[in-house]
Amino acid sequence: MDTGGNQIKPALHIPGNFLKMEKIRTLIIDDETPAREIIRHYLAELDYIEVIAECADGFSGLKTISTMKPDLVFLDIQMPRLTGIEMLEVMTEKPEIIFITAYDQYAIKAFELNAVDYLLKPFPKRRFLEAVKKATDKIRSGTENSVPPDQLLAKKPELSAPVNRVVVRKGNAISLIPVEQIRYLEAQDDYVMIYHSNGKALKQQTMKFYEDNLPPADFVRIHRSYIVRVREINRIEPYGKENHIAILHTGDKLPVSRTGYQHLKEELNF
Amino acid sequence: MKHPVLANRVRLIAWWLAWLFLGLGQAILFYYTYGGYVIVSIPDTLLSLLIFSVITLALWYPFSYFNLENMRPLSLMLDLVAGGAVTVILWILLTKGIMMLILPGNTTYQAYWDATFPYRVGTGAFFYMLVILTYYLFISLTNLSEKKAKEARLESLVKETELKMLRSQINPHFLFNSLNSVSSLTITDPEKARDMVIKLSEFMRYALSKKDEQPVSLRSELENLRLYLEIEKVRFGDRLSTEENIDENCLETKMPVMLLQPLYENAIKHGVYESTQSVSIKTQVRIADGHVEITISNNYDTAPSSRRGTGTGLENVARRLELFYGSRASIKTTKENGIYTVSLFIPAEV
Repeated sequence: MDTGGNQIKPALHIPGNFLKMEKIRTLIIDDETPAREIIRHYLAELDYIEVIAECADGFSGLKTISTMKPDLVFLDIQMPRLTGIEMLEVMTEKPEIIFITAYDQYAIKAFELNAVDYLLKPFPKRRFLEAVKKATDKIRSGTENSVPPDQLLAKKPELSAPVNRVVVRKGNAISLIPVEQIRYLEAQDDYVMIYHSNGKALKQQTMKFYEDNLPPADFVRIHRSYIVRVREINRIEPYGKENHIAILHTGDKLPVSRTGYQHLKEELNF
Repeated sequence: MKHPVLANRVRLIAWWLAWLFLGLGQAILFYYTYGGYVIVSIPDTLLSLLIFSVITLALWYPFSYFNLENMRPLSLMLDLVAGGAVTVILWILLTKGIMMLILPGNTTYQAYWDATFPYRVGTGAFFYMLVILTYYLFISLTNLSEKKAKEARLESLVKETELKMLRSQINPHFLFNSLNSVSSLTITDPEKARDMVIKLSEFMRYALSKKDEQPVSLRSELENLRLYLEIEKVRFGDRLSTEENIDENCLETKMPVMLLQPLYENAIKHGVYESTQSVSIKTQVRIADGHVEITISNNYDTAPSSRRGTGTGLENVARRLELFYGSRASIKTTKENGIYTVSLFIPAEV
């Protein structure tokens, strides 16, 4: 898939300094020019930071991270092609991340993904420098993540709209699976195997996430380890004393637990 | 509640005519039953009906205080029977007394009275019931129409509230992102920052000041949307461009305030937010079949977006159209070749 294109060369060049330690190589990813500019401006005052590149969308951001291996990334969430959260889900390199966004509902998710800090636009300079200091300390000394601010965690995640795509990585290739192509999901330890119309893909994610975030009218959790698209089911047959199995149009057979059977009953009104 | 008869002259005339008719009936009844008392029966009939009419007119006042819905049937019955007894006794005593004053010592009248007495009691009770039923009917009908009026008032209140609720709320992310741009521009381009603050203020003033559902002209709607798009252009630079093709004759058309706002927000959200290519938002306004047709279109990236749209913006616009215009307005959307188009048809009313 095309990942080239939108990398932007830093307009401001940071002059070299004779520091004992190496500079923190920093990447700014935000689709809005003024938003990148203010970050760059604040960072210019810090001689231990070097802005190595800027990106204006998720794909080029991801590509730049894997080629340039920055220490620190300032990351917006709402961006074309890949959101900041989706980028983190498939990132193999782990630079320190500071989220800078106008959306407060992703804060919990961001800290779950080990972000150093989460700034809300527009942010005061003091707060920005605090975040940079946290990141610097962590990079230099390898200390643990600080505790996220209470006011961000107190905010309950909003009931957001169902997901529309799933971003997966296969080797170096990143691909988007449209939700409408997903047939069923199978839990595999910490991963979920996604069976879709063009094959299957493994993704590090919880079943609970998909149970909550797939369009509820289209998908049913039929088993602790299975979520299936209702339309894919051809018939349901009894299996053993209390269990059932769902037979898909493709012939695949999936186990249906007792609770799963109840869910199906509610969904299909039988 | 007003007196059903005294409050209205037509009803008062009808009331007396009805009594005249009843009196005639009573006179004829008495004449055929007993005969011979024509001389005394005419004044007696007129007088007795006059008295009964006045008593029953007065009867309205206590009667209208009965709360018919909350009273137990038995006590209501007892009250009505007691009222009837008092009415009939009062009526008989007054009629007899006055007639004796008019015709003192008239033996014919005495004989007539004695002969008709049981029938008097009967017709008295009958008239009493007739009047009570009339009042009862009147109260029920009045309550019914008041209930209907109340319901209609309530309905319009609900509608008004709903319209207010549906008024597009300014997306807070738009505000925060714009303010972030301002924050940045104060460093890189203070002039532009000032310009942005002014545009943002003008936009917010329009959005916040129009609290009522007073319709506004398409002209002022479009002016405000231009402000909105200019603010977004500062954020997105070359990624957003706009085009307009507007029939000047439509500019005075009246419409609900901030009706189009969610449609432009959608164009930004599903177009500009998701695309690395430049997105062009086109606005076209023209007259079509006596309607004003407003078409907003934008190109978009056909790759699936991160989250599904909730459709709330579009739903709200459709609902507002329905509440404001009834069936005289419509909205339709199409997706074709990477172009999303939404068209509104509203009555060409100035």
